[in-house]
Amino acid sequence: MIPLERRSFLALTGVSTAAVVLGTGHPAAAGYDGKVPPAPFTLGVASGSPLPDGVVLWTRLAPEPLAADGHGGMPRRPYTVRYEVADDTAFRRIVARGHALASPELAHTVHVEVRGLRPNREYFYRFRAGGEISPVGRTRTAPAPRDNPTELRFATASCQAWYHGHFTAYEHMAAEDLDVLFFLGDYIYEYAINANNLWRLGVPMPAPEHNTETVTLEQYRLRYALFKTDPHLQAIHAHVPWLVTTDDHEVQNNYADEWSETGITPADFLRRRAVAYRAFYEHLPLRAVSLPDGPSMALYQRLGWGRLAEFTMLDNRQYRDTYPAGAVIDNSPERHNPERTILGSRQERWLYEGIARTRATWNLLSTGVVMAQIDRDTGPGELYSNDMWDGFPANRDRLFAALRRSSATPVVLSGDIHRHVAAELKTDWRDPGSATLGVELVGGSIGSDGDGAETDSFGPLWLSNPHVKLYNARRGYLTGRLTPTELTSEFKTVPYVTRPGAPIATAARFVTEAGRPALNREV
Amino acid sequence: MPDVVRRLRATGELGRIRLSWEGEAYHPLVDHYAIYASVDGADEALIAKTVYATFVHGGLGGRARTVRYRVVTVDAAGRRSRPSDFVKGTSVESVAVSGRPIATVGTFDHKSLELALAPNGYAQFPTRFPNDVDFTYGVDAPGTDWAYLHPGPADTWAGRKAHRFTLHFGLDALPAADPWLAIWLIDSHATNPGTVTIGLNGTPVRDVALERGATRGSLEGDATLPGTVLKPSYVELALPRTALVAGENSVTIDKPAGSWHAYDAVGILIR
Repeated sequence: MIPLERRSFLALTGVSTAAVVLGTGHPAAAGYDGKVPPAPFTLGVASGSPLPDGVVLWTRLAPEPLAADGHGGMPRRPYTVRYEVADDTAFRRIVARGHALASPELAHTVHVEVRGLRPNREYFYRFRAGGEISPVGRTRTAPAPRDNPTELRFATASCQAWYHGHFTAYEHMAAEDLDVLFFLGDYIYEYAINANNLWRLGVPMPAPEHNTETVTLEQYRLRYALFKTDPHLQAIHAHVPWLVTTDDHEVQNNYADEWSETGITPADFLRRRAVAYRAFYEHLPLRAVSLPDGPSMALYQRLGWGRLAEFTMLDNRQYRDTYPAGAVIDNSPERHNPERTILGSRQERWLYEGIARTRATWNLLSTGVVMAQIDRDTGPGELYSNDMWDGFPANRDRLFAALRRSSATPVVLSGDIHRHVAAELKTDWRDPGSATLGVELVGGSIGSDGDGAETDSFGPLWLSNPHVKLYNARRGYLTGRLTPTELTSEFKTVPYVTRPGAPIATAARFVTEAGRPALNREV
Repeated sequence: MPDVVRRLRATGELGRIRLSWEGEAYHPLVDHYAIYASVDGADEALIAKTVYATFVHGGLGGRARTVRYRVVTVDAAGRRSRPSDFVKGTSVESVAVSGRPIATVGTFDHKSLELALAPNGYAQFPTRFPNDVDFTYGVDAPGTDWAYLHPGPADTWAGRKAHRFTLHFGLDALPAADPWLAIWLIDSHATNPGTVTIGLNGTPVRDVALERGATRGSLEGDATLPGTVLKPSYVELALPRTALVAGENSVTIDKPAGSWHAYDAVGILIR
């Protein structure tokens, strides 16, 4: 991770030393009590980045979450927010408490980094500001590094276009017994919201300030606030700690580092990236080290779940090269340039060093876009999407070489395509009989693209790649149960999202053995 | 307090004025720049918020407009700088306003509504215009014979091929100076606007790369509505007098690359 120097942190926030303790729980954050506007916890609570001894707790004070200026109806002054962590839902056994500062610089969000907790335990938390008390959230810590947990239950989610449908998938996910949730990108979409794309029935048309592509910080803040008003999104945040990464729509469709497909100059686009990343940090349970410094955000991270699993959260947008020959889909010779990278050289080095060091049974690699090779020409030709890892085959080869040297079984978790896909990661894509290095589980969207269908016109294309074992075009999510010997993955779907209340179904279940990666279908 | 922007500049172009400025973007983080404008002496009003250090004040129409600007910086905490110094800019007048028309198709009004298939009937293009657009001024009617949308080779719905729009017009005698071609668009494709190749009586005149639009002009036809996302743009160039003939002449607009563009109006004019 890129260390964030205290000096730059101070300069970045532009506030006093006292204010800098926001998110740390340091007592110096006390003293800004004052009268808090009524009902400020409209956007819920969240936790994330679980460690063996701690977790990040998040909330935002926003009594008017959709106030047009993006400040949530809060006065422009800091407020002390108190937090409590307990063993029980009644908060009789408090194990940690403290203060954090909610400041207008960060839209009155707080990111409390609680430490001193016990490993592999369930906890409950809540906030208080003035006389107002937040909803209670549930979280948990990771097992100790040398522990051998018997299982991990996780889910993945991505692509939650609020305007395309109800978050019924989250409603069902919140009823699952989960240890962590991996969010794989497209938490918001930057597009204007209007009658053309508001497919979510039963909700009023958002105010005119939402009918524009997000460019300014107030617009990105408004977009997060709008999406986070969804009760099921709030419920799943309150239910399980999240580990998050981005894809493109947190900034703009298909962006690559400082490159925009709409011709915005790099200097201007970096200004936009800076406010987009700021709003992302503000609204997710991230550590202070991820607070962006201008247009740079330290997002990629590695966490562990005892000796059972290592979690590698990748950032596949901030450092990537642009399209090799200017087109999204092609098979240009430039695509094979060995210098091309989707991760950037620094993240690549960090990744390969981590892979070499891990002693975990499983390595869960989270990335925003599909990693498996997908030939998009169903005939004798070859076509690839340069927006996915297919645009960076040399980077993928370097990663696979590192994974081959590790004893951990790789499981790639990705999203982006709004479809459930399961694929085996082959050592030779042209030879279906070649060794399988790991598996990739691509989770369908939570809401993006509306109701969907069991399959669609892209299905034959994806399934024409023999290592693709599942294609489903419904909305939904993925769950996984990881043990020292096997991973059971289930692809969950809902039949519709434009209306609320859809039932949940399991479209497919696969078992993958540790050390012998393959997709063995059970359902 | 956030810094006041420096070196605020205004550059007039056809139908718009480009603004640029300099200023600290990150420390403290700029939420946006609020741009205030007074058009032709009217009251000052907030016209836009942007995080970029550039802004295109479009939609000024074909007349020359003089606008006085100043910019306020708003930071992430909601603090506002004092306003910048004023800067004044004047847009360039269009030949469509100042010129004498020889032949026109449609009205130069930032609307496509008077053209065939407008505002959203593009899917009918292959059946209504199987041989593309071949329009004779004084004979054909814009509402039936000039399609609002000109497809490009990137458009599957139009056969993924280059399409030609032809405008025939008569001249009793050769003009004394080069006439001008004015092409006003209400919108173009956001990521792949492509290029047009202009020809006059079979003589290539120029290739023009179109500006990126908003990819909405295929569905909406009025760029004057409040809050419109349409991005009008303009192509105006001199046609070589030497390629003209007394009698019938033909201007061709070919689209050899890119996706569609949406017309507002097309005209041949004398300055």
